[in-house]
Amino acid sequence: MSGGVDSSTAAAMLLEAGYEVVGVTLKLTNAAGTAASIGGRCCSPRDIDDARATAAQLGFPHYVLDHTAAFRHAVIDDFIAEYRSGRTPNPCVRCNEKLKFGPLLGFARAIGADKLATGHYARLESTPEGPRLLRSLDRAKDQSYFLFGVSPDVLAGVMFPLGALTKDQVRAAARRFGLANADKPDSQEICFIPSGDHQAFVEAQGGAGPAGQVVDEAGAPLANHTGTHRFTVGQRRGLPTPDGQRRFVLRIEAATGRVVVGPRDALLQRSLRVDDVRWTQAQPPAHWPLRCAVQIRHHASATPAWVTAPDQGGAAVELDEPTAGIAPGQAAVFYDGDQVVGGGWIA
Amino acid sequence: MIYFDHNATSPLREGVAEAMARAQVDLPGNPSSVHAAGRRARAAVEDAREQVASFLGALREEIVFTSGGTEGDNLAIRSLAQAAGQRGRRHIITSPLEHPAVAGSVDALQEVGFSVTNLPVTARGEIDAGAFEAALRDDTALVSLALANHELGNVYPIAALAQVARGRGALFHTDAVQAAGKRALDVPALGVDAATISAHKLGGPKAVGALFVRRGLDLPPLLLGGHQERERRPGTENVAGIVGFGVACQLAARAQQTEETRVLALRQRLERALLSIEGARLFGVGDAGERLAGTTLVGFAGAPGQLVAIGLDLEGICVSTGAACTSGSLKPSPVLLATGLPPAAASEGVRISLGWTNTEAEVDRLCACIGTIVARVRAAAGQGLGWTADVQDAAIGVHA
Repeated sequence: MSGGVDSSTAAAMLLEAGYEVVGVTLKLTNAAGTAASIGGRCCSPRDIDDARATAAQLGFPHYVLDHTAAFRHAVIDDFIAEYRSGRTPNPCVRCNEKLKFGPLLGFARAIGADKLATGHYARLESTPEGPRLLRSLDRAKDQSYFLFGVSPDVLAGVMFPLGALTKDQVRAAARRFGLANADKPDSQEICFIPSGDHQAFVEAQGGAGPAGQVVDEAGAPLANHTGTHRFTVGQRRGLPTPDGQRRFVLRIEAATGRVVVGPRDALLQRSLRVDDVRWTQAQPPAHWPLRCAVQIRHHASATPAWVTAPDQGGAAVELDEPTAGIAPGQAAVFYDGDQVVGGGWIA
Repeated sequence: MIYFDHNATSPLREGVAEAMARAQVDLPGNPSSVHAAGRRARAAVEDAREQVASFLGALREEIVFTSGGTEGDNLAIRSLAQAAGQRGRRHIITSPLEHPAVAGSVDALQEVGFSVTNLPVTARGEIDAGAFEAALRDDTALVSLALANHELGNVYPIAALAQVARGRGALFHTDAVQAAGKRALDVPALGVDAATISAHKLGGPKAVGALFVRRGLDLPPLLLGGHQERERRPGTENVAGIVGFGVACQLAARAQQTEETRVLALRQRLERALLSIEGARLFGVGDAGERLAGTTLVGFAGAPGQLVAIGLDLEGICVSTGAACTSGSLKPSPVLLATGLPPAAASEGVRISLGWTNTEAEVDRLCACIGTIVARVRAAAGQGLGWTADVQDAAIGVHA
């Protein structure tokens, strides 16, 4: 339970359906004595209080698990290292994979619970081969992209009570249950950077990439910059436009500090490589190359593609249509219709 | 609900709530006011002071009412050390076993230039008298060691240690919060300069406590702006709380001897059952030394303590993993780490603290279900609890 309306409503729905519910909230960051300690993002002390209040209101036990150190190691340190090496990390996927699902299901089993339920917008459909992970029916809220890293044996112990609902329906249900956070705004920012200023955070944490030059595709310098971590593939803002032409970040070379920019057309790419490929069902796909649709970031549609059989965890992806903004460090998630088949990290 | 967390807080003794309710209604005055209403409130506070003083074997003027144990520890340590520091003594001796209220106060002094010696402790959480003597210096301002440890239940030979400290001119403060009400307490016999107690650990209300400060010692106030408590702790007194505290002290003292015997028998019954579970062990001195009658810190190999505690909670049985002030999941206990245990083992502690409310039937109820809970936790933990190895290491602080 994050303290937000989604997980609170999921809990209330399960309770109404007759389940015995135990609430769990992860404490992931330390903000003792700072203004952030009364902030209002996922997993802040304020949100922990909201989760606790919901559990008390609905009358089920609630526990706070302090996973600050694990979160620091698995998510924040990774986030900083990724920026330092010129990549664009996705901490939410990492958190789901390393902290939210496996360890919470482990916790559930340790306390004798049968299932782990969360307020994610995604669906699980049971089949003889194990559950299939599907997109939420509310495509605008769909969070299945963030879940590709959750292993099949963990998914087998998971429930998503909100998967068939829209956000509006969830808020309506929350009001019907009388939940105090029914109208709490959605969290938008990364939970450990409530200000939303990634650059400042990365710099404060010693993760700044090297300073260097912004160069064009031919390698001609256009300007100096103060750190590669300030750039993301596909970014336009803040780039020099000496001839009035819009330019986009094409590539970040952390080793040399070079940020390569070019026109929008140069961003379009059909081939990419992914690392650390995993599958959401115990039985990986049988036919190669795999025909699927690949989504390269959360707010993007999936593009039809071919994926080669993984070799030592890595695979090649060939998109049918040239696609812009393929950023190393982000997840490439493989869909078959609404089903998440698997995914990997863009190399 | 079965309550086995008396070291976190102990339910109000019978009669305390009534006395407090009467005080709330009948004593509306401010004890500092000159009029009749003020005088009546003041008289009630002074009666309670007499009760608390008598509970500790102390003089009335040696009792300073506080908001509880944390304030008492802060006031004693920071105030006495600052005063001694002005006489050129700028060294503090403490142990790594102390409650966060003591540790935090000592840390604050270290930050303003005091040097700190953290005494070595044995695997059973004992403090070596020889090491203590060796740690004392000519510029030692203050020693702060608990009379009884909040997690282990170990009772420390404070009288002997305080005597050695006195020989070197160092002041001695003891956090007696856990010991008070659980064993006979004679502060003058301990020979300490200051002792902290808290009402709610002995069956009184929360947010009220007392600091014993030996007569003749200066105790500059930490809070400023009032003359109360002989200018040692300003602020309008918590009259009803103090009244309840006084009553609780009286009741605790009266019941102490029979209660301690009865609770000890319950603990022995409990520990016989716990130790029959494979891989169970007692932390602390066990039966090899002096221990609070009602405190058991048990560990089950391969079962994180917090998961066992939550399993018991879901069965309606309240226990804890250590200081209630620290929440954690796999986080090891600082006290157990200080005894030299590796992080994984130091996160296995389950503290079962018995007190005046408990019965044999309650103990048997816990014994009947804890075996199943431990087995289930071990099974889940055996599969890694869903952690990848590196993240689990980070969670329990292996890298820290």
